[in-house]
Amino acid sequence: MTKEEVDRKWWEIGDFFRRNSLWMLMYCTGCCAIELPPAMTSAYDMERLGMGPMATPRQADVLLVTGYLSLKTLRRLIYTYEQMSEPKYVVGFGSCTINGGIYHDSHAVINQLDQYIPVDTYVAGCMPNTEAVMNGFIDLMELIKTKKADGWKRYHENYEWYKKNQLDSLGSIEVKDEFHE
Amino acid sequence: MNSVEFARELVESKFQVLKTEVVDQYQISFEVTRDDVHRLLSMLKQAGWIQLSYLSAIDWLEDNEFELVYIVMNWDKALHIQVRTRIDREHPEMDSVLSIFPGCKYYERECHEFFGVKFPGNPDFEKQLILEEWDDIPPLRKDFDPRAYSDAHFAKREYEDRHTVLNNQSSKQKQREARKERITTIGKGGRK
Ligand code: SF4
Repeated sequence: MTKEEVDRKWWEIGDFFRRNSLWMLMYCTGCCAIELPPAMTSAYDMERLGMGPMATPRQADVLLVTGYLSLKTLRRLIYTYEQMSEPKYVVGFGSCTINGGIYHDSHAVINQLDQYIPVDTYVAGCMPNTEAVMNGFIDLMELIKTKKADGWKRYHENYEWYKKNQLDSLGSIEVKDEFHE
Repeated sequence: MNSVEFARELVESKFQVLKTEVVDQYQISFEVTRDDVHRLLSMLKQAGWIQLSYLSAIDWLEDNEFELVYIVMNWDKALHIQVRTRIDREHPEMDSVLSIFPGCKYYERECHEFFGVKFPGNPDFEKQLILEEWDDIPPLRKDFDPRAYSDAHFAKREYEDRHTVLNNQSSKQKQREARKERITTIGKGGRK
């Protein structure tokens, strides 16, 4: 076996374990976050898919962006996303992350999440119901299995493009507030 | 004497009130001139309205004025009092009430950020609070156009017109029409 083949085998093994134990970081930005409690608790019980909450970005695999992102939150989201260790996946919830949803003409809310960070799968709806959320998680597992969840690789390849979009909309990405003085 | 009457007598006996409005049994609003605001608020504070619940502005574009609204609350009497005053819109400026209600610090910053009202007396009313690095006129002014701002700053998703026919499938509309036709022929006993 060549080195590439060995690598690929190890990645396959890694992906198998990864997709069966996804730790998610919930970035509860908008109202879609209200769908997570029923998904986590006994009604739908996402633990049976091996998914559990994780408190720090460094140890999480999935970033759940639940809803609209104001410019202020987007800065923190980019920080959080870049802190996560690879491989990392992003799930966007609700029409707000897809095209701005009902906030499409707001001065404070961005319209399209995948201009700023790569998104692996979307869950559509405003808000998506809990079945759709669970279905989105299963889709994500399927994408990891078929190696299509490669958002983090796209982020490396198109880093310049993403940075440019971020700068165009945000002005600067550094967080400057009272707690960072 | 209920608390609305009490507050009304208290304020109207000592101040020249331009307009009094009793909203309901829990809310009353007084409009005063801008020079009376500080004295009125400090009197209300001594009379038990110890908490500043909110401070914000209303933009009256046609009158070319801002209306500042201070809402104070009493924990013993169930009554919110709104103190309203009009200020000029071209040079909006109002002395801070920091010495009376220290909690106004953040409300004044917010009001400066969203309406551009200046509050001399508050050392950091100009610091950014909610919007970060805002580069346009204050966004809650009535002459600000949020849609134009959004269009200029944020990428919009473009949609192709392919919701009807996907991958050479026959469109649902045709199927529906065929079904409907079949139903009508059956309804007529097979006759056209
Ligand atoms: S998609 Fe709807 S429910 Fe979700 S964050 Fe946006 S407005 Fe709220």
